[in-house]
Amino acid sequence: MNEAPTVEPIVVIDDDYAMRFSCRKILLKAGYIVEDFEDGASGLEAIAALKPSLVLVDLKMPGMSGMEVIARLHEIDSRIICIVITGYATIDTAVEAMKSGAYDFLPKPFSPDELRIIVKRGLERRRLAMLAHRHELERELFRRRFVTFVSHQLQSPLVAVHQYLDVLKHLGDAPGAAAKREEWLERCLRRTEELQTLIRDWLTLSRIERDFLSLHRVPLDVCEIVRHVIQGVELLASGDEIRMEARLPEDPCIVTGDRECVTVLLENLVTNAIKYNRPGGSVTVSVERLNSELAIAVEDTGCGIPEESQPFLFEEFFRVKQDGARKTSGNGLGLAISKRIVSEMGGTIGVRSQPGAGATFTVLLPEYHQREATGTYEQDEDHSDR
Amino acid sequence: MTAHQRVLIIDDDLDFRVSMRSLLESSGYEVIEADSGAEGLKKVVENKPDLIFLDIMMENDTEGYSVSYSLRNREEYSDYRDIPIFMISSIEESPDERFAMADEAGLIQPDYYLTKPLDIPRLLELLKSAVPP
Repeated sequence: MNEAPTVEPIVVIDDDYAMRFSCRKILLKAGYIVEDFEDGASGLEAIAALKPSLVLVDLKMPGMSGMEVIARLHEIDSRIICIVITGYATIDTAVEAMKSGAYDFLPKPFSPDELRIIVKRGLERRRLAMLAHRHELERELFRRRFVTFVSHQLQSPLVAVHQYLDVLKHLGDAPGAAAKREEWLERCLRRTEELQTLIRDWLTLSRIERDFLSLHRVPLDVCEIVRHVIQGVELLASGDEIRMEARLPEDPCIVTGDRECVTVLLENLVTNAIKYNRPGGSVTVSVERLNSELAIAVEDTGCGIPEESQPFLFEEFFRVKQDGARKTSGNGLGLAISKRIVSEMGGTIGVRSQPGAGATFTVLLPEYHQREATGTYEQDEDHSDR
Repeated sequence: MTAHQRVLIIDDDLDFRVSMRSLLESSGYEVIEADSGAEGLKKVVENKPDLIFLDIMMENDTEGYSVSYSLRNREEYSDYRDIPIFMISSIEESPDERFAMADEAGLIQPDYYLTKPLDIPRLLELLKSAVPP
């Protein structure tokens, strides 16, 4: 790994020339841009203009103290990482400095390695903080748009139906109207079904949160449900020439939960993997034992999910916008429902994806051990009612 | 009689386009459809419509505004700058909000702003005044 993958400006403020000189030399060699200053006032002036990623500041300096520099520094930009350089005698002050916002302190004397490591760690911290900040901003934007999204989703089918009926009424007995009537009524029915599905999914979402799972918690064999779900999507998959594959252990893998919920969970993941695949691609569902957990992975060979969308995938009504992807139906609730089911079962769900190279959704669920069981797990007796 | 006036419907909802096409055709207009902003811009150049129905919220929240911005401001569309646009949305926004959005998109207030479902008599009136069939 390269020590400094991007050129990051660093400012060193120390009244000791030898200290400034060696810091500068070490950091330049590590690939950073370095500016150094002998007092707080000139350092701060430069910081306001340079907007460095990181500042190394000596605590004990004539004129403006290091403490004052730290306070002013964060007024300029709170995201600048500040590392305090200090002699052993002033470790108490260094602790004080950290309380007022410094990220870490480096006791004198230090080796080049110590300096490099602390700087690298500080920059990594900044990178993560900025990433988190960006995600937070996007999430906030999404939340603000939420009401608009929901209204739009609810309105669209209603508007379409209203418009059909209104135009039919307007056309009356005009030539050609009768022929349209039949086709349009069919379309109206489809749109009302879409609205019903949306409302049903929305209810499922809140029901899962409330009490659904606790009511129906029984031991279930995940492998058997996987087979069942794959059977159920055969038609959908063969339509797009998608090859389905299951890699399952031979013995049952038991979790406790509600059969319908676990089926919904797997159906959501598997149908997504088909819908967002490329024609002629494949979907692989595997179940594996990891310590006391079961890992259920659903892997597709589709267009992948852009990195910036991944943090929002499991939010209600979020849909990935992607150029070149096939237009697919869906109301943006499937993954939100899946996530709630998984969390209610004490598990986690995540995604790994490279744009262009497919996506893998992995669900981790606690495995239920037979010796805890009072009876046998629930067998699926009837496939025909699905 | 001259050729029919041509209306381009840019909307990602197939059903909306289907019903509007019938309504407009029965009133003597010729109809072209596009299901996205990009497709819409292409059809503007190919067909030079006399009027555009433009849905605001398509794949992107404000896709319609991007389209009208391009048509009104970009050099490559200068021949189409004067085509009247009916901005159409399924959510009632306050005139202030609308103005802010249009302003943000670098537009003056759009000429016409309509909310779905469209009121047929009023729509036909507006059409008649904008582009007589």
